[in-house]
Amino acid sequence: MYGLLQHLINGLAAGTIYALVALGYTMVYGVLKLINFAHGDVMMVGVYVGYATAFMLGREHFGSFGAVLVIFLVSMLACAAFGLIIERFAYRPLREKPRLTSLITAIGISFALSYGFQMDLAITLGGKSYTILPGAASRAFPEIIVPTQWLELGSDDSSVIIWNWQVISFVIAAVLMVGLQFLVFKTKFGRAMRAVSFDHRVAALLGIPVDRVIAGTFMLGSALAACAGLLYAIKDTSVQPLMGMYIGLKAFVAAVIGGIGNVPGAVVGALALGLCEEFVVGYTSSSWRDAVAFGFLILVLLARPEGLFGRVQAEKV
Amino acid sequence: MIRGIAPVLIAAALCVALQLGLGPYQFFAYLAALVGVNVILAVSLNIINGMTGQFSIGHAGFMAVGAYLAGIVSIATKQDHLTFLPEAISDQVFLVGSLCAGGTGAALCGLIVGLPSLRLRGDYLAIVTLGFGEIIRVIVQNTQALGGALGLSGVPQRAGFGMVWFWVFVVVLVARRLAASPHGRSLWAIREDEIAAEAMGVDTTSYKVRAFVLSSFFAGVAGGLFAHFVPIVNPGSFTFVKSMEIVVMIVAGGLGSTTGAFTAAVFLTLLPEGMRSLFTTLGGGDPSLAQKVDQIRMPIYGVLLVIIMLTRPKGIFGTHEAWDVITRWRRKAKPA
Amino acid sequence: MTDALLEVKNVSIQFGGLKALSDFSLDVRKGDLKGLIGPNGAGKTTAFNALTGVYPPSEGTVRVNGVQVNRKARSSLRPHQINRLGLARTFQNIRLFKELTVLDNVRVAIIARTAPLFSRERTTAMKVKGGASLFAGNFLETANNYLDWWRAFLRTPGFLKEEREVTARADALLSVMGLAHRREELARNLPYGEQRRLEIARALGTEPKVLLLDEPAAGMNPREKSDLMVLIRELKDKFGLGILLIEHDMKLVMGICEQITVLDHGETIATGTPAEVRADPKVIEAYLGEAPTPGAAA
Repeated sequence: MYGLLQHLINGLAAGTIYALVALGYTMVYGVLKLINFAHGDVMMVGVYVGYATAFMLGREHFGSFGAVLVIFLVSMLACAAFGLIIERFAYRPLREKPRLTSLITAIGISFALSYGFQMDLAITLGGKSYTILPGAASRAFPEIIVPTQWLELGSDDSSVIIWNWQVISFVIAAVLMVGLQFLVFKTKFGRAMRAVSFDHRVAALLGIPVDRVIAGTFMLGSALAACAGLLYAIKDTSVQPLMGMYIGLKAFVAAVIGGIGNVPGAVVGALALGLCEEFVVGYTSSSWRDAVAFGFLILVLLARPEGLFGRVQAEKV
Repeated sequence: MIRGIAPVLIAAALCVALQLGLGPYQFFAYLAALVGVNVILAVSLNIINGMTGQFSIGHAGFMAVGAYLAGIVSIATKQDHLTFLPEAISDQVFLVGSLCAGGTGAALCGLIVGLPSLRLRGDYLAIVTLGFGEIIRVIVQNTQALGGALGLSGVPQRAGFGMVWFWVFVVVLVARRLAASPHGRSLWAIREDEIAAEAMGVDTTSYKVRAFVLSSFFAGVAGGLFAHFVPIVNPGSFTFVKSMEIVVMIVAGGLGSTTGAFTAAVFLTLLPEGMRSLFTTLGGGDPSLAQKVDQIRMPIYGVLLVIIMLTRPKGIFGTHEAWDVITRWRRKAKPA
Repeated sequence: MTDALLEVKNVSIQFGGLKALSDFSLDVRKGDLKGLIGPNGAGKTTAFNALTGVYPPSEGTVRVNGVQVNRKARSSLRPHQINRLGLARTFQNIRLFKELTVLDNVRVAIIARTAPLFSRERTTAMKVKGGASLFAGNFLETANNYLDWWRAFLRTPGFLKEEREVTARADALLSVMGLAHRREELARNLPYGEQRRLEIARALGTEPKVLLLDEPAAGMNPREKSDLMVLIRELKDKFGLGILLIEHDMKLVMGICEQITVLDHGETIATGTPAEVRADPKVIEAYLGEAPTPGAAA
């Protein structure tokens, strides 16, 4: 019973993190009809930025609310900027070309980032050595949130523990998702996003600054992903260059399961995936973790090709 | 029909001769075999990605199926041989048997993966094929009978580069004849405009599945060959990275061009090897510089993809073939 | 009962809340030349899509050559099956195979007449019977298809003969459409008018009994249009077709069609001979703002 509950909580915690990343995928797909394979890797860059920021602030600040806030903000801004640059120089020129071209480009960027960051590159400026590229080994993520047990149910042997960082994770994720819902459905920008996702040519004719809307969507998605990445690093207490690819792939699967382009669907898909993964790993063994996501995806797509909440995209003949 | 089979027989004879002559040069033989395997992978992937326009990025998964299946069959029949043939030839016959088993197994997987997913939209197929590749890898890594994470050992090292290049010849021939047949034209039509192809009576789903099965068969053969000249069949050889390497090859060569796939595969297999040797000697025998260069290979592939897409998305050869040049000469020579 | 090659009864198509086509009925017999007109967005191309199986109708029935092609949900015939029953079409926005040659564009549409191993007619007949016969028919047809690929790889004499036959038939069609001189040209390099003719040639390659032409004269100059009018009539007689065409050019439509159906907002507002339709007040009202007196001014 307690085991089940613990798995449930862990699954939901992982799911909310996937959800934040999945939202980025789904939003970008909505406006661009592009699967941004590089999304997860942009997140990874953001996590490393957060890592660097944490060290620059100094160890004495770990655990303080201010430090955490600064780290998150810096990371999110960096990711947003990075996402903007990628959109501007790699995706925008290919917008009118066949979709396959953009897909291949996205894969190229993903590769360049995840394998580039596996290289070791350090430069020495004025006596001090600065690491530009971190190398393949995983590094311990600084304890910017000191893990303490927040709630313990049951006795010592079979207890369910909810950690403070899990609660923080839930809260941050919930706030962001509610904020996003508000943005998409209640603001002018959100309306513009939805218009562009239906037909970007017509939206342009109606006076919507399509380029800016798309850029804004990218920035938003990347910022959310940065947040998710940091939460994941805190949970896992480690970072490594391939984390972007792994989390990204799973979040993408979640977005597709929910119906790509569908915002609530991405959240549902992510939570479902998080739970599924946690239960499979919990009751079999962790070496099957990677196969779960894809197995789940294939089953869903076989039953319902548009995803759980997806719209059937009819092509004009 | 003689004209049909003759080239294959001639190629077989040629490959045997080359193998006997150049076999002893071990480094060359190994390199040639490696290049050959990549060419088979590239040309076969080109059939589904290039000619049919369906984006499949899990090719390494089918290679893995072929490698492990062929490996197991060979291990099981290691002690058997056909008594009426000299042992060397009997070994090769058994090898071909294993390869066909591996290829058929991979083709079957292609059927299982393809049937449901080729009904889905383009980007979805990419994900499903990627997922399939990953699932295969996870299954293999967790199966002790296949050697688990350490890999399958004990596969008899029977595949010489001659055998590998014989199969290169076969796959190129098949690709060429396919392109020059009604089926090839239908595949191209599907790539160009699936709705119009369907309206002109082409059963697009069936054709896509068949192309997928054909492509997977050869990926399996490539895997089988690979298993028979590397000491251990390591699951790490069949990851998403491998799939992407092949995709880079056919994109760089030109999606749809067999010549492009061939050339890019040769070039992109020899280049890292060449660079590794170059930098090892430059470093005076110290491999660390070469390792650094190796590390850069993957990010450079990524950047290369982006640059190609932004500048020349059609790749080097576009959709042309080397033999098109000959056809055009012939046409010019004929009086109008 | 009827010898209609194409029989459409009360077909409706609904996209979510929008009824793009309501209660559409039409018959096409051998030798017919009928027109389908209406303002933009009236549902004309949607009608074509319903008939050819691109969007299965939400209501009504479509029969091609006596066979009912739309059924409940997923088991409706797919467009390629409907095509093989004898219904071919061209597209409003040209959908040629751009990177293929003119010859290849037509060759894609042609299926060789020589049967590989199991005759296509027999397998189709078996499948229609259903049950175990359907299974056997499917199996044989799949075996056929894979064997076909082997024959291509081995370049058997039978295969080579088929290729020659297909090429000859394609060449014949190109001659009829006046495109023989463009044989080796890539489809995307053709001038616009020739591209439209190529689309028709390609559709004819499927040996249809009914031909649906979607704005075949769009973008052509008056000389090209009148040549096309003549050509369409010739094709109809030469191949024994029934033709249904969508057009915006009133002179063309009134000039060659024997019967015209007028659509507006998905509904049929008039049917009849050109003279009847021209005088119909509802038609004039629907076209208000566009060329009011069709035919006279040109």
